[in-house]
Amino acid sequence: MKKLYFVMALLIVASMILAACGAPATEAPAAGATEAPVAAATEAPVAEVTLDDCVKEEVFCVGLVTDVGKVNDKSFNQSAWEGVQQSQVDGAADLVQFIETADAKDYAKNIATFGDAGFDVVVTVGFGLGEATLAAGVTYPDVKFIGVDQFQAWQFTEDTADDSANVTGLNFPEDQAGFLVGALAAMMSESHVIGAVCGTDVVPPVWRYGEGYKAGALYADGMNSTTTEVQVVYHSDVGFDKTFTDPEWGAQTAKAMMDNGADAVFGCGGLTGNGAITAAAQAGKYAIGVDADQYLTLPEAAPQMLSSAMKLIVPGVAELVAQAKDGSIAAGNYTGSAGYAPYHDLEGAVSDEVKAAMEEINAGLLDASITPGVAPAKP
Amino acid sequence: MDWKRFGFIALIITILIGTVVYVGQTRQTPLLIITSMLATTIAVATPLTLGALSGVYCERAGVVNIGIEGMMLTAAFFGWLGGIYMFQIYGLSAGISITLGVFFAIITGGLMALLHAALSITFKVDQIIGGTVINILAVGLTGFLNRQLFFGKGSVFGGTVPSSPGVLPTIHVPITELFAPLCGTSAVCLENVQAINRVFDQKPIAIAAILLVFISHYILFNTRWGLRTRAVGEHPRAADTVGINVIKMRYANVVIGGMFAGLAGAYFTIESVPSFEPLLTNGRGFISLAAMIFGNWTPIGAWAAALVFGASQALLINMQIFRDVIPPQLSFLQESYIVGLTPYILTMIILTGIIGRTTPPAADGVAYEK
Repeated sequence: MKKLYFVMALLIVASMILAACGAPATEAPAAGATEAPVAAATEAPVAEVTLDDCVKEEVFCVGLVTDVGKVNDKSFNQSAWEGVQQSQVDGAADLVQFIETADAKDYAKNIATFGDAGFDVVVTVGFGLGEATLAAGVTYPDVKFIGVDQFQAWQFTEDTADDSANVTGLNFPEDQAGFLVGALAAMMSESHVIGAVCGTDVVPPVWRYGEGYKAGALYADGMNSTTTEVQVVYHSDVGFDKTFTDPEWGAQTAKAMMDNGADAVFGCGGLTGNGAITAAAQAGKYAIGVDADQYLTLPEAAPQMLSSAMKLIVPGVAELVAQAKDGSIAAGNYTGSAGYAPYHDLEGAVSDEVKAAMEEINAGLLDASITPGVAPAKP
Repeated sequence: MDWKRFGFIALIITILIGTVVYVGQTRQTPLLIITSMLATTIAVATPLTLGALSGVYCERAGVVNIGIEGMMLTAAFFGWLGGIYMFQIYGLSAGISITLGVFFAIITGGLMALLHAALSITFKVDQIIGGTVINILAVGLTGFLNRQLFFGKGSVFGGTVPSSPGVLPTIHVPITELFAPLCGTSAVCLENVQAINRVFDQKPIAIAAILLVFISHYILFNTRWGLRTRAVGEHPRAADTVGINVIKMRYANVVIGGMFAGLAGAYFTIESVPSFEPLLTNGRGFISLAAMIFGNWTPIGAWAAALVFGASQALLINMQIFRDVIPPQLSFLQESYIVGLTPYILTMIILTGIIGRTTPPAADGVAYEK
């Protein structure tokens, strides 16, 4: 029996060590600091800024907490992290550091790690971190919080009790981004059936993408007097922890849509969407990415990648960090801008008329002569 | 054969598909809907079927295996990684790399199962705890290696995920070619034949899963090996008395089961999408266990149960595709948490014994001591 206990103990310890190592960044930054961020810091003009310097007034440190997922998720976390890195290149931040969240339960803990280390700005990525970010705003009143994709509803309520002076939500007109690619898909579709595979519609930005996509297709129909059937499927049947990380479901859903005649598929929703994009590309249909220019990030789908609905996260985050540095940042909501990615390999497949129409729609959205008319959240 | 149970399952699947046909009739022909639903059902059911077969082999031999999820996840990772290694480092062709990837996945599943077998058979650890160890180990191991190999400083692939050799191709069954001449000039007829063809055009692992169901059924119930497997799972002492090596039989079946879980893992990263993401199996190993119980520890039953899970998933997807044409009285079906519960509620109904009794192997989960 002794031998048995020994083996068991060894295995359990081994698996726990591995489990811990699997998400090394959720540990204290002292341990994670040997990773890339310090390498980045040494490139900064200020010589050898270390984490210990963050408590100092003159050293401006920016921390980023990802949503459940990796900082190189080819999508959302990655763009935000690039924005933070951009702010370092621009000279706003002296030291940048990220923590990858392995489990939704760790949101508060990960934010607190930066708060305790004396960081000046903490960027939290994703709707899911909204509550934890607001709570941290109270605990660390001297820290500026930038919540990417976190709509600050308190700004619009009568009750001032939960108003926050140091939390800024960076939001994007996803409906406009979805509108752009929806119009593009409708104009490019030969079967006049297009689809979108999205994460849960409980998350307002996802809802705005999906509904904006529909509105865009409808607008294009109006321009070209066509009738396009738009199939938008949300992965609302699972929890927040799974809705964005289910590529297999995304691929199956995209296949079902293509069975129903769709020849352009928009994947909006992290890894789930990536699965749909990859499946569409494999089937030789048009694939449309989300958040970032996914032509660059999804090599498997690149040849069929028509465009991507872009949230211009990188400039948005960099701008807010710069504002935080010079003190002009305002609590509440900051709206960044939306766009669509280049056609890349399909440049030749997109006719000049469609290109011109897309530029016209983009200009119309920018000067507000076109409005998608999408409710901010699912009613 | 448990006809009552199969009748019940067939009824449920018919209801699920029939609902979509009813809802979507204004937009799509019934045949197109049915074939599309069936194609989705079979594909979604593939990892569940293989996972459930994994459970059937283990538990029929008397070893509870809740580590299927972990075995799938580890196999998904190593199958994918093996494919990339062969493709990028050894420069093999994409086709060979993918095939080797599938074998790596199967071997990985077998090795994880060997660990489970060692824990639960040799060391007589509580089998639930042994399975839990496998699951925790899988999450840690794949997360850690995924990070170290691809994203860490000085990692093999220099901080980026290299492009994988791709996914397994769809095997085309030439139904269209065979029957198209019968259609003559009728375009509708040709469209229908193509729609039917779609159900049969599946990928290799999906096809293998269905074949393995029937092969497993034959092995378990018509061969000496199967009889011995069931004997050590029902009454190991009696089996031992007549000269069957209980330990050896249990080891062999657990490892075979692990290889099935490994093939299920290969489905995720080699057949469905060519990428690995941490935790991508998303609890399907546990759903497989439910399917196994639902199917009363038989291969065909487990497959039928997996199809119910697949069909309810297909219903969820199609309900949203036809969102605009759903009649108001059926709008509740769009609430995915209601429909998503169907298979779980059915599993509970099955467990109550209303539709035939569900009996696990008698010595399931009990370590054998001489």
